[in-house]
Amino acid sequence: MNVHTYEKLWLIAAMVLIVGFIATITYGSVGLGIAMVGDQQETVEPTELADDERFGEPRVEQIGDDEYEVYVVAQTFSFQPDPIEVPENSQVTFHVTARDVIHSFSLAGTNVNTMVIPGEVAEMTVEFDDPEVYGVVCNEYCGPDHHNMEGQVHVVPEDEFDLTEVSVDAPDEVDAGESATVDVTVENRMLDGLETTAELEIGGETSVEEVALEGGEATEVTFTVDPETLEADDSDVEWAVTVDDHEERGTVTVIDAGDEDGGDDGGETDE
Amino acid sequence: MSQSIDESTQTTEIGHDEYDPVGTLALIGLYFLILVALWIFVYFVEFLGNDPTVVTGSALLLAGVGHR
Amino acid sequence: MSNTYLDQFPAEAKVVRAAFYSSFFALAIGGLFGIVQTLHRTDVYRFMDSADYYTVLTAHGVLLAITFTIFFLVGVFTWAVTTSLDRGVENLRFTWAWYGLMVIGTAMAAIPIFAGFTDSIDMSASVLFTFYAPLQGHPLFYLGLVLFVVGTWLAGVDWFRSWRAWKAEHPDERIPLPTFMVLTTTIMWYIATLGVAAAILLFLLPWSLGLIESVNPLLTRTLFWFFGHPVVYFWLMPTYMMWYVMLPKFSGGKLFSDPLARVVFVLFLILSVPTGIHHQYLDPGIAEGFKFIAMTNTMFLLLPSLLTAFTVVASMEHGARQRGGTGYFGWLKALPWRDPVFTGMALAGLMFAAAGFSGMVNAGMNINYLVHNTFWVVGHFHLTVGTAVALTFMAVTYWFLPQITGKALWSRPVALVQVVLWFVGMTFMSNAMHRAGLLGVPRRTAEPQYEGVTFEAAVGSVGELNAQIALGGVILTISLVLFFANVIATGFNGRSDELPSNGYADALSGPEDAPLVLDNLKLWTAIAIVLVIFAYTFPLLSIVQRGGLFGPEVITFPVSLESLAPIAAALEYGGLATVDGVASAVTGALEPGRIAIAEVVR
Ligand code: HEM
Ligand SMILES: [Cu+2]
Ligand SMILES: [Cu+2]
Repeated sequence: MNVHTYEKLWLIAAMVLIVGFIATITYGSVGLGIAMVGDQQETVEPTELADDERFGEPRVEQIGDDEYEVYVVAQTFSFQPDPIEVPENSQVTFHVTARDVIHSFSLAGTNVNTMVIPGEVAEMTVEFDDPEVYGVVCNEYCGPDHHNMEGQVHVVPEDEFDLTEVSVDAPDEVDAGESATVDVTVENRMLDGLETTAELEIGGETSVEEVALEGGEATEVTFTVDPETLEADDSDVEWAVTVDDHEERGTVTVIDAGDEDGGDDGGETDE
Repeated sequence: MSQSIDESTQTTEIGHDEYDPVGTLALIGLYFLILVALWIFVYFVEFLGNDPTVVTGSALLLAGVGHR
Repeated sequence: MSNTYLDQFPAEAKVVRAAFYSSFFALAIGGLFGIVQTLHRTDVYRFMDSADYYTVLTAHGVLLAITFTIFFLVGVFTWAVTTSLDRGVENLRFTWAWYGLMVIGTAMAAIPIFAGFTDSIDMSASVLFTFYAPLQGHPLFYLGLVLFVVGTWLAGVDWFRSWRAWKAEHPDERIPLPTFMVLTTTIMWYIATLGVAAAILLFLLPWSLGLIESVNPLLTRTLFWFFGHPVVYFWLMPTYMMWYVMLPKFSGGKLFSDPLARVVFVLFLILSVPTGIHHQYLDPGIAEGFKFIAMTNTMFLLLPSLLTAFTVVASMEHGARQRGGTGYFGWLKALPWRDPVFTGMALAGLMFAAAGFSGMVNAGMNINYLVHNTFWVVGHFHLTVGTAVALTFMAVTYWFLPQITGKALWSRPVALVQVVLWFVGMTFMSNAMHRAGLLGVPRRTAEPQYEGVTFEAAVGSVGELNAQIALGGVILTISLVLFFANVIATGFNGRSDELPSNGYADALSGPEDAPLVLDNLKLWTAIAIVLVIFAYTFPLLSIVQRGGLFGPEVITFPVSLESLAPIAAALEYGGLATVDGVASAVTGALEPGRIAIAEVVR
């Protein structure tokens, strides 16, 4: 078989190209540490995500000083949680699974992009340096509303970031002349301690309690509200509980004596 | 009518041994250069400049490249 | 008297004609849907509900990527075998039977797709041409696909029968190049379609019929891509055949090297299938090592295409020089640019050179994070199947039509305008699609305009890109209209006696220069199968072990992935090294290095 010299030259050039491409990719993997989505994670039962340790509660979790894990569930036609909030200068590992059909989880304009396959868990570790809002799209067709499947990742300044959970247990109604109790549960899901305040504003009055929590700890703060404070012109008294930038709001209805259905506490809000 | 090659336009008969495809070599050499340039551009500018990028879990290897 | 294909093989010409007309019918409807979705996506003109977009897209994908291409190629292959062996088909009834089966299959698959447009029929298959489970289409859709594929299998049997009968009469002759190309392509297709056959017959069809409860989405997806990558070579190999055996003739020259053409087709046969995992670089549940192996195979699969570029351009140059062309680049002017057949094919080749680049990016493993499932990919395959293949098919139709109808082409100037318009339209559309993809604009999306997501362009804007895409789409549509005008008007022409004869290009370096081993189809088939086994056994076992055969219930297989992957890699390259010819030396030399890399990467 006689191959023309020029074609032999081209053959060599082609091999150089091919080897060069493989070398570049290898440099990206080994030299720069770009990892592929792989089979690191155990499989899950898509039908039993609600009871799953990892995906029962889609969330952001802190696992180290600047290290976070995010558990994301993609389903027709949304992502949970949404938005996902993480701090700047952090290393975030996303774990993404699907509840129903195949989706994707792709941060537009970045190299964070993965298929999301029911039963499988995509794991991606990403470093976020500066505060920014990233749009998330699903880029795999997943049904008639596929084009409406979107979300966001918010990378926020460190001092604006926390993993504080606030829930308030306040009565819906109180009888006139009685005092009311408002229970505020503050949970600090960060690893570091948290020192802050819980503030209740009701009927124009404000009371503040100090809250100091170790990492992972939760506490309950109880505010007792005097009957006088509840004497508004209106029978509905508004309240607001503020812990850092978390705010919960509600109203208490003051019931005149003689009114039948006396109020017990039924109102419970969760953030 | 839809005769594709008009035999009359063929002026010479060039046999196997007298033919060196220099024009092809020139064109394909150009193509080679374009490919290399585009590859470098797309990999190192478009791709590596498109951070954040997925990295190996524990090691912070991408530092330096990942930062704009 | 002329000596067209119709004169030589009147009965076979009818089959080829039927196949071509079926193909054009699919092209017409598919093309119409193409412009509809282009205008919808870019928000230039929307007249349907966005949910229907996906029905349109399913039809566009299936009709163009499967129906248009494959009907055309069975026509071309039938022409190639009969012409190059100089004998008619063995049994005309059988030939019509496989053609009929393909038609029935297409119709069956089309019914549920089109029923998706109306709510009054409780049937749909808006699952796109990839039909990833758990999205489920109507059983008729899957059944139709199966029948269609079986039709192509029987077509392959037909071509093999012709060859065996010919061989019995010509025991010592080399397989004529066109037939060689048909046979290698057919074997590749047989191997490739096992994946989709398994996906449909074992899982998707029983599942859609309610016989089994669930499927393993990663498994059926992997089986799909086992077929889904090589299917692109099923489109491309007939295109290459046209470039090798017809283009030199239209250029006024000869094929530069018959032996290298054979090497190229052998390389396609053995390397096309063990690469499909490159469509799954971003799939969870497949180890990085397997992805790396798929990438290496894919990159080596560039070789036959790069070789083709040289051989085909050199053949054109030969023609140009025989026509008096001179200089390093001056010879280009001596080419017959007024001939729509030549010009269409040459422009298709030029577009394929561009597609080669975006394909190289797609082949890269980690860079896939940048482009996977973005509009970049759509830009890429409109250059490959949408231009290299489609434009070549349209251009060569201008030569084939007189051959199979006995009528002169209606208008060569219109044909010339048509092929040039396709090139221009695709330049606009595809370039803008590539750029949009780099910004992260997703593919397969009716309304890529989001509330909380913006796509930021460093140069230009999304609006500008959309305008180019829409403009390109409109130009392409005009081009299509001209194509059909020509095909239809030619049908109304009277028979002509002055048509060119049937035939294909001679070679400068003929088959006598090709080592005999190249024609040893059994050997290449065996190597292809071995490579597929090495590339796919472990990934498939791992997927089944993880997610279960029929879904996420885990079935334990006594196989430890960690220890087997390196063995797979070693065997794989052991296998590659046996490949005769050009690639072996370099592959062999790199082998230990690549295995080591595969290890590190894992
Ligand atoms: C008039 C010419 C054409 C136009 C305007 C056009 C337009 C488009 C557009 C805009 C898309 C992307 C839709 C999306 O991802 O949301 C698309 C997808 C596609 N086109 Fe075309 N196209 C044309 C011709 C062709 C041809 C000739 C072929 C193949 C032979 C082809 C094959 C495909 C395939 C396979 C898809 C992907 C379908 C999917 O993602 O499921 N197109 N086309
Ligand atoms: Cu989606
Ligand atoms: Cu592929």
